[in-house]
This record gives sequence, structure tokens and C-alpha cells, in this order.
Amino acid sequence: MALSSIDIGSQLVNLSSALLLIACFAIVTLRRLSSCINVYILQSVFLAMTAALVAFFTDIHHIYISALLTIVIKAVAIPLILKKVIERSDVNRDLEMNVNVPSGLLICGALVILAFFITQPIIPLGFLLTRDSLAIALAIVLIGFFIMIARKKALTQVIGFLVMENGLFLGATAAAYGMPLIVELGIFFDLLVGAFIIGIYTHQLQDTLDNVDTSKLTTVKE
Amino acid sequence: MLQTITLVVAQIIVLLGISPFLVGLIRKVKARLQCRRGAGIFQPYADLAKLFRKQPVVSSTTSWIFTATPYILFASTLSAGLLVPTFASLTPLSFTGGVIALVYLLALGTFFLILAGLDAGSAFGGMGSSREALVASLTEPAMILSIFAVAMTAGSTNLSTIVHKTALLESVVTDPAPHLMALAALCIVAIAETGRVPVDNPATHLELTMIHEAMVLEYSGRYLALIEWAAAMKLVVFLSLIANLFAPWGIATTLTPAAIGIGLVAYLLKIAGLAVLIGILESMIAKLRLFRVTELLGAAFILALLGVVFFYILRG
Repeated sequence: MALSSIDIGSQLVNLSSALLLIACFAIVTLRRLSSCINVYILQSVFLAMTAALVAFFTDIHHIYISALLTIVIKAVAIPLILKKVIERSDVNRDLEMNVNVPSGLLICGALVILAFFITQPIIPLGFLLTRDSLAIALAIVLIGFFIMIARKKALTQVIGFLVMENGLFLGATAAAYGMPLIVELGIFFDLLVGAFIIGIYTHQLQDTLDNVDTSKLTTVKE
Repeated sequence: MLQTITLVVAQIIVLLGISPFLVGLIRKVKARLQCRRGAGIFQPYADLAKLFRKQPVVSSTTSWIFTATPYILFASTLSAGLLVPTFASLTPLSFTGGVIALVYLLALGTFFLILAGLDAGSAFGGMGSSREALVASLTEPAMILSIFAVAMTAGSTNLSTIVHKTALLESVVTDPAPHLMALAALCIVAIAETGRVPVDNPATHLELTMIHEAMVLEYSGRYLALIEWAAAMKLVVFLSLIANLFAPWGIATTLTPAAIGIGLVAYLLKIAGLAVLIGILESMIAKLRLFRVTELLGAAFILALLGVVFFYILRG
């Protein structure tokens, strides 16, 4: 049976979206902060790949620009900032979590199933090319949320936030073949500034509390 | 009838012949990455031949389980190997069973190996057995589910049918997202089941860190040879599963000489490529602490489950 180009396109897009989801699970399992950041880099590269594939198969050229920006900002600039912050505050090893890894994995599994159920009625209405990506994107957003809740250290919460943003970007690419370029530029800029601010904030936490554990913030008094 | 017998014989020759080579290849890759010259790729054949000539030493405290286990393990692994497509999508014993038979034939061998580890009554054997039981009980559901994720797209649990349909693209059986999750899960399962690095170290000399090696510490002579050969075959079974379920390119779908020739070459290339990958992976990462292994296998289970659920909800 010969596959048409739209079929091959949709299969490739599905494949790279699934890679993003697997990277999420790696972040949930990993304990070391620097490996979390490395997986985040990998995830951003997959995201750029997905966007480039969508651009190639739909001939919408401005998605190429957002793919390029994804590489530059999410795979290079933000990880650099985060790694600088790690160097200054020695928080690399054994991250504390509010739930242990196996139950975290189970919760994430349940979140993904929830995301599949929610998007299932919407999917037949979507574009043929990116049909399953919407379900995966929602799953990634939920897992990003979960990482923010489950981890205690400020830096890993940032990674949860960034994973969530990756999910949103995938969702936008899947549901609407990308947002207008000006909106995307704004989001990228926001993200970069956000990473900067969080870097400075972590630094301040480290200075005042000798720790970047956000659960200790409740002990801070005026 | 004649065709079935020929296929059985051919597959047995491939399985028995290729398995020591793969072990040697992995060792060679690891040696080269550690800047050593390493033993030749064909060293495991010589090791096996040497072990078969040696007289086995059997402890007087052991029961029949100890002497029967090598044969049971060898036979069950070989029959499991006959259920998995290697160079041709038609497997000799495909009419006898599918995925579930494969999983439980492998589990039968593991079960007897666990018993044999306990049988000699040594502390290390018992420790190895308890660890192997932990790993085996966690890999089993992940393995079944990951193959089911592929089986559902092909509409059959018979490995031969799955691979045949996928190779010919007969129905729309390529469904990348659930297959990728299943592939990730099956790779973790394969590493855990064959005792490779993040879970177990096949080259360790320290009894405290052993899993598989600790169980077979008491074995010697031809018994050890059978167990090592069976372990090598198990590696081939898992690599063939991964290669042919997810990338059945080039596999012989008909039994003409030309197709079989191409199938054989493609199969050898795929398997050798995977073995080299294992060698590289083992050089890159450190062994996990035993209690972290459950997390890794838990991730494999969740991924395999999601592969199945993905198909149910979004395709059902």
C-alpha cells in the first residue's frame, strides 16, 4: 500500500510529538538537575523538529522561523542561564520531591490518559496532519504542571514551567498550525525574560536562605 | 511439513550460531571504547567449547533442580526463540502460540534459574535469586503491554502475523506515537531481562552487585556453558523482537532464496547494530542502585500502558 505524502507527514509529526512526551517522562524520573536540563534541551530540539515538519508538510513558512527561535532560545539560551544558576547555587544532586518517583510516574500516566480522554472528541475536527499532537500537547502541559507541584527546588519548578510552555507551543502548532509570528516572538521574549527573572530570584533565595527550597519560604517573616 | 522442519532447523542454527557472536561483539565494542584491544569477537565460541569439555562440579547439597535447570533454561529459551521472527516473517512455531507463549517460555527459564540459585544454599545465590525475582516480576507486565501495543495495530497477538503485516504495510499498521512508547518500554525491558548495564553488570566481579551472575555462581562445566549460551540466546530473542517488531525492513516475507538472502543480511545488520548500541550505552552510563531499578521499570510499564491506552482511546 502506497502512503501519500500527507500520511507520511502526519506519521512523522506524530512520531516527533511522541518523542516530546517520552522526554517528559524522563524529566519526571530523573533526580539530577543537570540531566533534567539536558533532557529539556533534547525536548526543545524535538519540538523544533516537529514545528519544522509541520512547516514542511503544510508549506507555512513562518513556522520555520519559530522552529529556529525554539532552537536558539529554548535549546541554547535558557539552558545556559539555568546552568549558570546551578553553578552558583550547588543544587545539582538528589532533588527532593513531594511525591516519590514511582507514584509520580503513576500520576503522570493518569494525567496522560485524562488528556487523551479530553481531546478524543475534538480530534476528528482537527487537521489531518497533526491529529494526535493535540492530545500529546495537552498531556505535556499537565505533566509540566505536575512537575511544578511535585518538585521542591525553585530550579526544577522552572523546568516544569518550561515543559508546560513546550506543551503549549506544540498545542498551538497542532491546533492552529502555529500562532501569528508576532505573538510567538512575544512569547519567546517573555520566556527568556522569565528565565532571567527566575535565575535572579533563585540567586536571591540562595543568598537569604542558603537554600533554594521553596517550601522553606513559609518560614520567612517580615 | 518439510518446509516447517527446514525452517525450524534454519532458525535453530541462526539462533545458536549468532548468539555467542553478539556477546563477543558487545565485549569488543566496550573494550575499544575503554581503549583496550579486547578479546576477539569469536572468543565466546572458544569459551563455550572449553566449558563443554570441562567436568562439572556439583555440590552434594543440591537436588535434581540444580542439574535439570541448565537443560530447562536452554530448551525454553530456544523454543521462545523459535516463536520470534528473525530473518523471515514466517516463524517455524508460529502456529503454536503468540506473545503470551513467548513471555511465559522466557519466564519458565527465569523461574527455574531462580530456584537453582536458591538450591545450592549459598548466600550469594539466594541474594541473586531474590533480586532476579524482583526484576522479573516488574519486567513481565511491561513486556506484555509493549508487545500488545503493537499487536493491537496489527490485530493479532501472533508475532509472525504482526511482523508480516507490518513488513508488507497490509493495513495501516504503522502508528508511530503508540509504537514509539512501546519501543521505549521494550528497550528498557530488554536491558533489564538480559542483565545489561543500568540494571545488572554482566562483567562484574563483585558478588554484592551481581544479579544474574550471582545465581549462576555455583555452576561449572557444561552446565555453565548451557546457561551462558541460553543467556546469549535471550539477548538475541530480545534484539530480534525490537528489530523486527519496530523495523521489519528487509525481512523475508516469502520463502524464495533471494528474499531469504536479503532477509538474512538485513537481520544480521540490524542485530549487530543494536549490539553495538548496547556496547556504547554500557560504556556511557553507570549501573543504577538496586532500589532505583524499580523506578526505571515503572517508567517502562507506564510507557507501555500509555501505548496501549493511546490506541484504545484515540483509535478505538
